[in-house]
Amino acid sequence: MRQLLGFLIAAVILSAIGFMLGSYQTDVYRKVLLWVTLALSYNFLFGIAGQVAFSHFTFYGIGAYAIVILIFQVGLPLPLAVLAGLAVCVALALAVAIPATRLEGFYLALATLAFAQLFIVVLDEGGSVTGSAGGLANYRLPDVFGLKVSGPAYTSLIVLLMLATLAILWRLDRSYFGRACRAVRDDAQAAQAMGVNVAKTKIIAYTLTSALAGIAGMAYAFVDNTVNPPIFGLQNSFLLLFMVIVGGSGRHAGAIVGAVLLYLMPLVLSPLIGHHHALVFGVFMVAVVLFQPRGIIGLWDWLTAKRLRRSRAA
Amino acid sequence: MSAGPLLVCEGLGKRFGGLVAVDGIDLEVNSGEILGVIGPNGAGKSTTFNMIAGALAPSSGSVRFQGEVLNGLPAHAMAPRGIVRTFQHNKPFASMSVRENVMMGMHTRLAGSLWRVLAAAPGAAKAEREAAVRAEALVDLVGLGEWRDADVGTLSFGQGRLLEIARGLAAEPRLMLFDEPAAGLTPAECVCLSDLIREIARRGIAVLLIEHDMRFLMALADRVVVLNFGRKIAQGTPAQVQADAAVTAAYLGNLNDVNDVNDVSDVGKVASAGAVSHA
Repeated sequence: MRQLLGFLIAAVILSAIGFMLGSYQTDVYRKVLLWVTLALSYNFLFGIAGQVAFSHFTFYGIGAYAIVILIFQVGLPLPLAVLAGLAVCVALALAVAIPATRLEGFYLALATLAFAQLFIVVLDEGGSVTGSAGGLANYRLPDVFGLKVSGPAYTSLIVLLMLATLAILWRLDRSYFGRACRAVRDDAQAAQAMGVNVAKTKIIAYTLTSALAGIAGMAYAFVDNTVNPPIFGLQNSFLLLFMVIVGGSGRHAGAIVGAVLLYLMPLVLSPLIGHHHALVFGVFMVAVVLFQPRGIIGLWDWLTAKRLRRSRAA
Repeated sequence: MSAGPLLVCEGLGKRFGGLVAVDGIDLEVNSGEILGVIGPNGAGKSTTFNMIAGALAPSSGSVRFQGEVLNGLPAHAMAPRGIVRTFQHNKPFASMSVRENVMMGMHTRLAGSLWRVLAAAPGAAKAEREAAVRAEALVDLVGLGEWRDADVGTLSFGQGRLLEIARGLAAEPRLMLFDEPAAGLTPAECVCLSDLIREIARRGIAVLLIEHDMRFLMALADRVVVLNFGRKIAQGTPAQVQADAAVTAAYLGNLNDVNDVNDVSDVGKVASAGAVSHA
């Protein structure tokens, strides 16, 4: 009950913010929300289930392209296109996960990197279906059940999507399933001895989080109203990984902090120091990995523990 | 349930290419009984253990548990059937607390539909709470109550072994398999472990343990099976086995071989040959 109330309050506040922003700020705000959504699901896959996969941002792209193609090339109505787009994401995720989750660590990373590169090749070579290198543009979100959803209303939709993603992952994490995912990451053999079907657990974690990324991608398609291959390149896959690591891998709060910080950092720094913001980013990354491997949330834990000790001592 | 033994292995064998690691072993374990399996290094203890635990598929013979043939079932199919194992080198879930580790033992019982989890069905949350309470009782049973919320990384090696046992008991097994449980423990910890294993058997759980430490095993087991070169060479009560000539030969080498040796340097050769064949 208290949890539900918390989510409701967050939904109201975060949506209200959307009504107070200008058009540039709205754009930034929506993208922050989408990065947070992505980082949350990637945190489950990488931080909790321990799968070093580089395909997460690709599924964001698959969702975005799928919804645009299904509505404007195939001519499906919006609700059907959402379902069909989700089905595409799930099918592709299963196709990757069933062979790839047999691989561990480095090899899974390589296989999913190859998949991510393949996606870009398919987009570039997709002719009129994907719009090739130029991508697809000049489309608008169709009316949702007869309503025109745009401006702050669309921002609220993204807020709800982010919170729904958080709620799903939160519940999974605190269930037997989240524990099984962490057990598989910690020691697959011991997990097996406890009756955990390791392959199945990995496949479910991969498919579920990839599908969540796909849904976020569908929402993204109508933020910029254009999808093109460079957006879904490897650079953003790595940025996503950095967000989770900097924030504190394995923790929902960490993913949120990491996504907000790393997305806003260049926007704030580049007017001040131009392209040198990349240097600051690099130094910051190295510093976090070296000095605070548990991320910013680890630093927060350390500070609260220290404060607690001090108040006890006093 | 039939009145026969809980676990029956018949003609169990395992080949790795040309190497016959285990060659037609018969074993039985009854509820509440402690069966010890010993043998020199390379005797096939671990291979036998792994076949029963589902980590290795037998090349021949069968493993039957409560009448059901387990051959070829994956390792994760054992816990739901009531068979759990410990590992020689502790395998705790490093990111979890002691309590959570023990709750992992209840995975089979807690695992259900993910839809119920997502819908926050009240049953799922209640089961989790009950599991946490039950886990605490087991943590107390093995004497780790004080460390219940500690990270497993803070436990000593011996405490880690106890945690593995609590985690196994959480699965409510009918058969517990111990892989060299005394390895790496101090003498005091061994006594503590013996008491715990006896308590487990007293609760009606069948115990099968493979062990290197003769003194530990002989004082604990109801029956002992001795393996050498993949074959069963003796079985019986600890006293019977200790008196068995074949067992002495397997562990110390054949005395006749030693008598044939005249030269001092040859003694060394026989000793090292014995060590090699046992290794």
